Amino acid sequence: MSRTWRWAINIVILSILLACLGVIYKLTVKPPSFMLNCSSELFNRQQSLEDNKHYLLVDLFSKDGQAQINYRYFDLEGNSAGSVSMQGQVNSIDLDNMLYDISVKTKQEFPHSNLDLAPEHYKYLSYVSSLNLNKKGMHNLSVRVLERDEGKDFAVVLFQPSNTVCGCRLVN
Amino acid sequence: MQLGHCRFDIDREELINLDSGHVWHLPRAELQVLTLLVDYQGKVVAKALLKVGNGEQQPLSDSSVTRAVFTLRSFLGPQYESLIETVKGQGYLLRHHRCRKNNDTPSQRKVSSAKLLAGISLALAIVLCSSWAIYDNQNLVNSAPIPLQSNSVKTLSGHSVNVILYAHSKTNNGLLTELSQTMLLSFSQCNLSSWKNVYLSLSHDKQVLNITLRGEQFGQSMIRNLKISDRRQPKQFINQQWLQAVDICG
Repeated sequence: MSRTWRWAINIVILSILLACLGVIYKLTVKPPSFMLNCSSELFNRQQSLEDNKHYLLVDLFSKDGQAQINYRYFDLEGNSAGSVSMQGQVNSIDLDNMLYDISVKTKQEFPHSNLDLAPEHYKYLSYVSSLNLNKKGMHNLSVRVLERDEGKDFAVVLFQPSNTVCGCRLVN
Repeated sequence: MQLGHCRFDIDREELINLDSGHVWHLPRAELQVLTLLVDYQGKVVAKALLKVGNGEQQPLSDSSVTRAVFTLRSFLGPQYESLIETVKGQGYLLRHHRCRKNNDTPSQRKVSSAKLLAGISLALAIVLCSSWAIYDNQNLVNSAPIPLQSNSVKTLSGHSVNVILYAHSKTNNGLLTELSQTMLLSFSQCNLSSWKNVYLSLSHDKQVLNITLRGEQFGQSMIRNLKISDRRQPKQFINQQWLQAVDICG
């Protein structure tokens, strides 16, 4: 075997080894856990009627690449007005840019007993997520941190593609 | 017997370079060493055996064997000198080498294909690394979402409030811009406000207006999120009276 062939084989083996190292790294690296807790006041503006007001609590947490998002709706008295629970996986986390890419695969909805009294936001969320889950089998979303102060445990985040800005508490 | 680009004619005791046509009539030492190496091709031949040969003639000296191997390697040239391998402490070994049929083209082709393979691997590695770097770079470039607008307004007490807009696209944002003007006007009429930054965004389908107010009071972080749906047409979402009613000044 000539020296050239030996070099060629060495380079090929080295390339394969590097590729294997990359794959092993990708497969073994665990995305860091995170948890956001966001509370919002919901208003439904209506013609010549008083606003229909609710509260929304969103918990988003991720561990070992799995993601869970819970939307819980309450009326002014604190009674449950429905909830949506979504499960999926974290596709990627870009810590430099503070960007979390999540794919929701399944969801469960627990609507208000009287759907007419359900918050408008609940109906909207249910519609949009069902649209994506039925059409593509997944509901993709990304969460990007716009402003963060870990000392004071808060972050302002931007959800895409819904283009929703929200101020949240950083639990982790 | 083919040895690299040379042919060994054992009967004529000649080594012929097929490229140059140069014929080397082998001296006794070289002939004895090469004949034995050919006889035992692929196996290590002890130096003692190379010295003795077939026993019909006077044994060669150590240095004669060493010199013979050196001159044989020199004649084979740099490309094929490694055919005669030194096995330390044991002797020499003539490695197997596939014969050429007509000329050097197939072996040259083999070398070329080896170089080509190495080159392709290297090029592939470089392309992959470059693509990765470019992809990462693009991610960095596209990383920070740029607000559509950022305006500042002073309250009656002189406190500054920033109203920052985030939009899904750069076009068709007339409604969001109008809403930000309403917001700026409302804050300009506030006496006191704890809010420092106000983020405004309309959902991609313009069904929900999101307002996030962020500020500090007594060293404590304050956040308030308002999500407004409007089923009316045309959609108004907010006006000054409404903002006062929900105590936007904080």
